[in-house]
Amino acid sequence: MIDAIQAAYVVAILGAAIFSGWLLAPYVVGVYNRSPGRLDRFLDPLENLIYRVVGADPAHTMDWKQYFLAALLVNIVQMAIAAFILLFQGSLPLNPQGFSGLSWDLTFNTVVSIATNTNLQHYNGETTLSYLSQMSAIQFLQFTSAATGLCAAVAFVRGLTNGSRDMGNFYVDFVRSITRILIPLCFVAALVFVALGVPQTLGGYVTVKTIEGASQTILVGPVASLVSIMQIGTNGGGYYGANSAYPFQNPNPQSDILEIFLMLLLPTTLCFVYGLMLGKKRETRPVLFGAYALFAIDLIIAFIPTSTLNSGMEVRFAGFWSAFWTVVTTAVTTGSVNSTLASQHPLVVLSAFMGMLIQSTPGGIGAGLMYMVMYAVITVFIVGLMSGRTPEYLGFKIRSRDVLLVMSAFLIHPLIILVPTVLAYATGAASTIGLGTNSLGFTQVLYEFTSAAANNGSDFLGSMADTPFFNVSTGVVMFLGRYAPMGLLLALSGSVIGRKRSPESGLKTDTIAFTAVLVGSIMILVVLTFFPFLALGPILSYFQGNVNGLG
Amino acid sequence: METNPENKQKASYRPVVGIAIVSLLVCGLFFPLLVTAVGQVVFPHQAGGSLVKLDGRTVGSELIAQGFSQRVFFHPRNASASGVDPDITVQDAMSQVARISEASGIPVSVLQQLVDANIDASGRLVEVQYVNVLLLNIQLVQDYPSVYSAYA
Amino acid sequence: MNNDIPRTQYAALNGSVVVDSILRLSPVSLLSNPVMFITELMFFIVAAMAIYPQGFAPAASVGERAYYVEIASILLITVWFSTLSDALAEQQAKNTAGSLRKLKTKVISKKVLREAFSSTVVPTSSDELSKGDLVLLEDGDVVPIDSEVLEGIAMVDESLLTGESAPVRKAPGDVLIGGSRIVSDTLTVRISVNPEEGYINQMIRMVESSKRPKTPNEQAVTIVLIGLTGIFTIIILALLGLSVTLGLGADLSVLIALYVCLLPTTIGALLPAIGLSGISRLYQRKIVAKSGRAVETAGDADVVLLDKTGTITVGNRAAIEFIPFEGYSERQVGEAAFLSSWYDDTPEGRSIIALSYNKGFVPKNLNSLPLSEVFEFSAVTRTSGVKIGRAQEFMLPKGRSRGRMRRKFSSDSVASDDDQSPDLEIIKGAPDSIKRALISPPQDFDAVVDAVAAAGETPMAISQNGEALGVIRLKDVLKPGIKEKIQGIKTMGIRPVMITGDQPLTAKSIAGEVGIDEYVPRAKPEDKFAIVQKEQAQSRVVAMIGDGTNDAPALAVADVGLAMNSGTEAAKEAANMVDLESNPAKIIDVVLLGKQLLMTRGAVTTFSIANDVAKYFAIMPVIFSATVPQLEALNILHLGLHSAVLSALIFNALVIPMLIPLAMRGVRFRPSGTMSLFLRNAFVYGIGGIVVPFIGIKLIDILLSAI
Repeated sequence: MIDAIQAAYVVAILGAAIFSGWLLAPYVVGVYNRSPGRLDRFLDPLENLIYRVVGADPAHTMDWKQYFLAALLVNIVQMAIAAFILLFQGSLPLNPQGFSGLSWDLTFNTVVSIATNTNLQHYNGETTLSYLSQMSAIQFLQFTSAATGLCAAVAFVRGLTNGSRDMGNFYVDFVRSITRILIPLCFVAALVFVALGVPQTLGGYVTVKTIEGASQTILVGPVASLVSIMQIGTNGGGYYGANSAYPFQNPNPQSDILEIFLMLLLPTTLCFVYGLMLGKKRETRPVLFGAYALFAIDLIIAFIPTSTLNSGMEVRFAGFWSAFWTVVTTAVTTGSVNSTLASQHPLVVLSAFMGMLIQSTPGGIGAGLMYMVMYAVITVFIVGLMSGRTPEYLGFKIRSRDVLLVMSAFLIHPLIILVPTVLAYATGAASTIGLGTNSLGFTQVLYEFTSAAANNGSDFLGSMADTPFFNVSTGVVMFLGRYAPMGLLLALSGSVIGRKRSPESGLKTDTIAFTAVLVGSIMILVVLTFFPFLALGPILSYFQGNVNGLG
Repeated sequence: METNPENKQKASYRPVVGIAIVSLLVCGLFFPLLVTAVGQVVFPHQAGGSLVKLDGRTVGSELIAQGFSQRVFFHPRNASASGVDPDITVQDAMSQVARISEASGIPVSVLQQLVDANIDASGRLVEVQYVNVLLLNIQLVQDYPSVYSAYA
Repeated sequence: MNNDIPRTQYAALNGSVVVDSILRLSPVSLLSNPVMFITELMFFIVAAMAIYPQGFAPAASVGERAYYVEIASILLITVWFSTLSDALAEQQAKNTAGSLRKLKTKVISKKVLREAFSSTVVPTSSDELSKGDLVLLEDGDVVPIDSEVLEGIAMVDESLLTGESAPVRKAPGDVLIGGSRIVSDTLTVRISVNPEEGYINQMIRMVESSKRPKTPNEQAVTIVLIGLTGIFTIIILALLGLSVTLGLGADLSVLIALYVCLLPTTIGALLPAIGLSGISRLYQRKIVAKSGRAVETAGDADVVLLDKTGTITVGNRAAIEFIPFEGYSERQVGEAAFLSSWYDDTPEGRSIIALSYNKGFVPKNLNSLPLSEVFEFSAVTRTSGVKIGRAQEFMLPKGRSRGRMRRKFSSDSVASDDDQSPDLEIIKGAPDSIKRALISPPQDFDAVVDAVAAAGETPMAISQNGEALGVIRLKDVLKPGIKEKIQGIKTMGIRPVMITGDQPLTAKSIAGEVGIDEYVPRAKPEDKFAIVQKEQAQSRVVAMIGDGTNDAPALAVADVGLAMNSGTEAAKEAANMVDLESNPAKIIDVVLLGKQLLMTRGAVTTFSIANDVAKYFAIMPVIFSATVPQLEALNILHLGLHSAVLSALIFNALVIPMLIPLAMRGVRFRPSGTMSLFLRNAFVYGIGGIVVPFIGIKLIDILLSAI
């Protein structure tokens, strides 16, 4: 249980995220609608220069296939660039510590991980990556994956918008996401982080003689710039292996609150963007209230036990802030952590699973919104039939092909979580790295693939999983978990373009009543799909009495 | 720019590679370097790692725990999420007071007052009571040079 | 369901149904139903375990043969319940269409072969006739196939098709439905369809589920079911894999039991029956749908175009008052009206006679008045009337009512008693037509006419020898119950639009009386097409009725077109449904039935999925009980180790027959808004779907442990 002041903090932070999202949304919509803005004077010439240099015609519009293909190919080329830097960092500049290049499988895992907005880290950055790798592989991909998520969501909403003719232009959306949303937000946030104590230097690690005379290496680097994008972009990949438990990444309660707030900011903003772009403000209700209602359920589960400080936590965050972070980071599938997962009560871990299995509470940037709409379509179809009309969402009739697309998008998740989980045991890969066949070991393996599939990135294993099996399997899972649903849902949205919309009298999806049914349906669907595995993992752990953490 | 219908065909690879490279330059170099430059100028202390000095010598970072094993110092936690947790709970600090007093001869009440005075203000705000071990020890060294000259 | 739609009698469980349901157990015939196919596959696996448990060594605890037999039996019964519901639904459909099938029995018809100057009649079997052939039908003959009357007038008994017991008069141009019987006189008809295209055949095709194509909505639901099946397959395979690799020791039969319990067996079993019985219910209202899709579309209707005449009003007006112009008396108007209507056999004419009679305005010397000419109603002049000359044989007794009237002649009648009276020409009709023919219209002509029209009633002016006498006030007669029906569809968010040829004030009055906000006055049948298109341009789904050739284009573009069987062939071909009883008001029933069909499908799907929650809680604690006893904490129902699986499986099977009545008769509902229907059903079948199995499984468990 939490006390009143802690509850007040939770409400205040969530409230601040919702309020800021509401404030920010009109600006974000303007960015994608190319509405005139104050930044045009500086950014228009720069962006036009970029379009000219790369040969992209901003007036050209794309259908869903072109849009998705452009996003996918750009992401793949970006992964290739990052892979090159990681493989050859030993011979590249900005490597004061002289770290050598990464193995092929860790490189594959890492670039897919960061580019898919997952940030599962099978490495410890502070002992593995050069400054160049941290900036030009990790931070680079953190920006582009967040931008890709924004683009996908925006294109998705464009397709759903009544009267739209196309999905927009990926290159323009992508460039504007970076120049007008991510960089300005991250720049401000990064400076605040520096002010709060997060280092930002290229001067190399500092070696000091401690008071007692020992030698200590202070692992400084360009951390603040990374922390800003990793939280704002719901990436979650930390500069350090310990992620935001490491004091340089999260020095005090203020930075902790700011980081929690920042990871909620854009996913929440997109809920408002949804209604605004559709031209139906009230359609924000089901996606926002639905997401936050599910989020609240997760929080309640996590706060049933009283989390207390233990050896997997940091003193400055103690039990409450560690548990709270764990729920938030999975609710928006960021994946950064400020404590070890092993230190968390099984119910907190269960709540973390829920966030990653639902994926839209409110979920990762862009992806969360798309999943929520996917759930809405499923709910409208199955439950909405009972209103006595062919189910309609946003006025368009749901056809069998739409059902096929959303069911496929939904089906991917259990497939890419459960198949590799079984494989990890069947091939012996799990036991190779010392994972037991008990509830604790199973929880860790299941969590690994759930996190990978949900593009979350938090994990129990960390660099322990730097084995070819886990690197490759989670790499494939992350790739499929990112691009397969994205493609399917963009296909859904693309097929809605030009479709007849009935103007009235259908199911009113913008009501609280529908939102309640939506939340119920999501809970049932997700529980039905994953209940047996949660029962063998965190639930069993709980019954077995591992109440002081799963470690 | 005018619409070029031919673009559809040739657009397939050039913008893809072009955008990837431009985003590398903007996000992977320009942005972190800009933050570094501004950060170093505006907040040089924090940007450099919040290093602390004792008698003009850099002895560590206030954010990173360093090892203290001698009985006259407050000891950090051995096990934490980061491994370098710079803080200990007030309870933990208080439990060490008797040992430090015994070893250093500083009265228990003085040490207790010192701990109380060092409770982190922002921690109080979020109901977490803790003290920074390095800062506490530095204050001990500065307040009782006679005692600590032998140890530091 | 409200009282408007009667409850359906579903087919009785008889021998042939049982035999049919057993035949349907063949895996080949189950291929079209993936959920049931898998269930049967699981039956075979567990049956194999019962026969040879050693073969499944790592995943089967040997020595539990009896247990495997129990599980296998329940699985087979589950599949059988599904095939039983199919068989029942098909039996029901066949029963309701049975009469039609009988009608389709071959008859020998008299085919007419026409040559230049003669024609011969050749006896020909009905199935050898083809479109365009001429057939002679005499008293007692059965109409072989849908055809059109070319020559002759006869009375035809259509009772088997429409339920209307009185024979119908058929004249050239009228349509005959295959299966009806000539009860008087002789007709020459032309076959209008090829034998395979007749309505009876269409209907029979519709009810034979094997040939019935899945509707778009059924296809979509099937995809959901396949998707869910895929998810549960992954889950079970993963559990099996984990059980083996982690050594959790789950028994394959228990995993299979969980699998089958999770599979959407309820909706999988009932889906075909729901669609089929929806069409059967429609047919019981004597409506033949040409496709299942049309029925579903009806549920989506946003706008219903209602013809005033026949739908809202009984199709005729009744005279309620005679209003004289200045200088004339009510009696003069009434008597003139009486005379002008004496040969007017329309309902309006009859109502005028009745009003005159009731008021005592029957002309004196009626039987001595000569008649020289009758002007039948003409659409051009929009008038009708009589010219009475000197002929003495005026009016012979024609029936009892007129006989009675004659006896009631008043002696103080104004009408001339002189044999030498001049010709009397009485014309009645639309006021503007009458006015045009007047030499000098009375000063209060417009005032009186407008006053009647302003009240929404129909003024009919009457003139005698070129002088207007007054106005007959005619009022529309509403169909009984129509007001409530219109209120019902409005409540459901459907916009009724009334189409009428009346002038705006009349239209407004009728519309207002029944609660319709939108009406199109002075509409010609051709206007319907434009109205349909206008609504569709705003993406609305339009349902309409039609009967005339003029309606055919509109019926063809309308999303739901219900043609009257009494209407033209063109209209029936353009429509996607035909009402055999030719009752236009039934368009409303069609919409409600469409909604009911979709609702039933959604309800059973939701219920089926929601059921799974309880089944998890029943079976999960048991699966790994040997190695992970702590999961017993999930056994919130406190089920016995053995009976848990059986209880869940038995419940899973029993739900199917328990829901067959629901599938057959449809979800009951009261007309209400889309959202309130949605929420009410989501609550009943969603929350109910979660709660009911907890109770059901526990009850079965108690029962099992008692045995």
